[in-house]
Amino acid sequence: MCIHREPAFLPILLFLTFVIPAVAIAGNADCLVCHADADAVGETFRIDHLTFDTTAHAALGCRECHTSVTTDHPGDGIAPSKADCRGCHEAISAEYARSTHQANADCRDCHNPHVARGPAAVSGADMNRQCESCHGRLDTTLRHAEWLPQTDLHMAMLPCISCHTASEENVITLYIIRRSDTLLGDGQRLATYPELKELAEGKSISSLIDRNEDDYISLTELRMFNSDPENRMLRLQGMITPEAVTHDFRTLDNRWDCSFCHASGPGARQTSYVSLAREDGSYLRIAAEKGAVLDALYGTPDFYMVGATRSKVLDVIGMVIIAGGMVMPVGHGTLRFLTRKNREHKEEE
Amino acid sequence: MEPARKVYLQPTPVRIWHWLNAFGIVTLIVTGAQIRFPEYIQLFSGYKSAILLHNTAGLVVAVSFSLWFFYYGVVARNMLKIYVPSKDDLRFGIGRQAKFYLLTYFLGWPNPHHPTPENKFNPMQKSAYLAIMFVLMPLIALTGILLTNVSPLRELVILIGGLKILVAAHFLLACCLCAFLFTHVYLATLGRTPLAYIKPMWTGWEEEEPDRHSHPAA
Ligand code: HEC
Ligand code: HEC
Ligand code: HEC
Ligand code: HEC
Ligand code: HEC
Ligand code: HEC
Ligand code: HEM
Repeated sequence: MCIHREPAFLPILLFLTFVIPAVAIAGNADCLVCHADADAVGETFRIDHLTFDTTAHAALGCRECHTSVTTDHPGDGIAPSKADCRGCHEAISAEYARSTHQANADCRDCHNPHVARGPAAVSGADMNRQCESCHGRLDTTLRHAEWLPQTDLHMAMLPCISCHTASEENVITLYIIRRSDTLLGDGQRLATYPELKELAEGKSISSLIDRNEDDYISLTELRMFNSDPENRMLRLQGMITPEAVTHDFRTLDNRWDCSFCHASGPGARQTSYVSLAREDGSYLRIAAEKGAVLDALYGTPDFYMVGATRSKVLDVIGMVIIAGGMVMPVGHGTLRFLTRKNREHKEEE
Repeated sequence: MEPARKVYLQPTPVRIWHWLNAFGIVTLIVTGAQIRFPEYIQLFSGYKSAILLHNTAGLVVAVSFSLWFFYYGVVARNMLKIYVPSKDDLRFGIGRQAKFYLLTYFLGWPNPHHPTPENKFNPMQKSAYLAIMFVLMPLIALTGILLTNVSPLRELVILIGGLKILVAAHFLLACCLCAFLFTHVYLATLGRTPLAYIKPMWTGWEEEEPDRHSHPAA
């Protein structure tokens, strides 16, 4: 029996893994003839072909979510049905339903169902864009400025969800930033795919940093990226991103406590990644060398987290300087005490 | 005994500046230590309070520095005379003053420097204050201003060499100020009585003994 079963099982498996998605994608093409073309359907109904094809939802196929679409579409004038996320993402939906934020926003307010990606493939800046439509940047900055020092910096360097989801495990993700052309003002932004592609000169974009292309970024490679004069206009910027996203968006008591992030020691973040823009708008995450207490980040001269990434060498030099200042009070003071008689004598004269 | 002669050595703006500065800098050092070493130093209830206090004290010190600069540079117009050591100071003065601190003081000899309002610092003071007030203070204030405005001044920060260099400079300069503070406060107690030099910094008037000159030494 077993002998017969295996050969039968294999084709089914092959069918499931390759043929069904292929059919689904072919089915997608049926719809995308019109829907990838803004001239045919208008900008509001356009779906970016390249982007959609690489998302987790591409394998489902358009019809899986728009079940009521008919062969007469769009001639029938009936708007096809749109799937409810809850049907497939039960755990997250149940978690979100319990949160206080559930009354404020629906899944679709934050997610575009045609651009469904996990957090590792979304840049920190894009994550914040999910919140920005309701929580305007200026308003959010002002509200946080009531208690958060360096608010603009925090808002730029942290996705909102690092502070507003329960996930305790954070990593440092480095992005390639394009520097601003002007000296003043906050003109910097994430480097785009075309910019990086041009710089890579035909090679893969990851080779810009991962020079030996082993899908692993060593400290030396980070340093080489920074010191390469070709990369003058680029720099690496670290963001603290949560490793897992929980959907109970709320204010967490321990995020009031700055030492949740601003402390060194064994509890501090050790893991870091480099995240690079891909053609389809997603991000490719490559692991960077693990280092004792963020040592990996010494490769990036521009990442400094007060209280957490201080240099031990500087601490020692600083202490030596301060000790130098004690020489006079201690040394002179001792001699002064021992020779106090000399001065009393003069005083009496 | 003749009545003690008094010299008006420290004008009011200088005294206001000095004590604002002193309390400001002590606050900056303590809060700065907590900000850099949060896991060892927790003097203020939270990291936030330490940072807010540090930024406020930084502002106070920067404003009082401007007051000092304005007073000496614009009102009194004797900044250079008071703070820049003369050729003589460099050639003989410093050696003489060092000899006093390190040797003749212990033998009970008088201070070789006789302060007047136009020449109130001894040659060593001049050099030390010159370095502190014209190099250290402006640099530490500048690095502090950059550090509180990293986002808008990012390109400037990169020009300097990055955040790490900036932070390193701010920290080491602060350590130098801290070292100066210990020496400074100690030397301030070297008068006839421990408070002899500190009182004039509060009241403005320095008492001179008829038989023995008393001089600010700090
Ligand atoms: C011949 C071109 C064409 C093809 C093929 C096509 N569509 Fe459409 N579709 C349209 C147009 C045009 C509209 C806008 C209709 C309107 O304005 O009501 C539309 C609208 C839609 C809408 C939005 C309806 C609404 O009002 O919200 C959905 C969903 C949709 N199509 C899904 C599909 C799916 C799924 C497929 C593939 C099975 C598909 N379409 C294939 C042209 C097409
Ligand atoms: C995972 C489920 C899912 C898949 C797969 C999916 N859609 Fe959708 N689609 C939705 C949902 C949900 C909406 C409603 C979005 C909203 O209301 O914001 C939607 C809306 C639309 C719209 C209306 C315009 C818009 O963006 O709101 C069009 C057109 C559309 N889909 C076409 C397609 C086509 C074509 C495909 C295949 C290439 C596809 N969809 C695949 C879930 C899906
Ligand atoms: C307030 C905004 C918001 C709402 C509402 C929201 N999400 Fe999310 N969701 C996010 C963010 C931010 C992420 C992380 C970035 C990303 O993957 O897009 C995320 C990630 C996800 C992920 C990937 C998680 C992982 O670890 O791989 C899924 C799946 C998901 N959301 C489903 C849902 C569903 C289903 C709903 C509705 C019940 C929902 N989301 C509602 C903001 C939201
Ligand atoms: C027909 C079932 C189905 C529906 C409906 C559906 N999804 Fe998904 N979704 C999936 C599957 C399957 C995956 C890929 C496996 C996974 O990561 O769970 C996925 C993946 C995702 C991911 C990426 C997760 C990752 O880690 O890569 C996000 C985000 C997401 N869905 C959000 C949504 C949102 C928002 C909706 C509602 C608009 C929705 N999905 C509706 C089936 C569905
Ligand atoms: C569709 C609009 C919408 C989107 C998108 C949205 N929110 Fe909200 N959110 C609201 C509203 C409305 C409130 C309640 C009013 C307020 O506090 O501003 C709220 C409140 C909050 C609160 C306070 C909750 C509490 O219990 O104190 C947090 C935290 C929050 N949102 C985080 C986020 C994050 C993080 C994102 C992005 C991942 C996000 N929101 C996206 C509408 C939205
Ligand atoms: C450093 C951590 C941190 C980051 C980053 C952060 N928040 Fe908050 N946020 C908090 C804390 C703590 C509170 C509670 C403050 C309060 O209640 O006054 C809060 C409060 C809020 C509130 C409720 C405000 C109110 O006054 O009731 C909203 C809405 C919110 N955050 C949205 C966001 C959004 C959107 C972002 C991203 C742009 C963001 N937060 C980034 C920590 C953070
Ligand atoms: C809290 C501790 C301090 C005490 C007790 C103290 C004491 C004194 C005294 C007694 C004087 C007068 C003597 C003189 O003219 O040299 C003086 C002057 C001076 N102190 Fe301090 N000081 C303190 C902190 C500081 C700090 C933190 C700084 C600078 C960073 C500073 C900078 C100066 C300078 C530049 C002068 C000369 C002022 C002038 O222009 O007349 N002091 N200090």
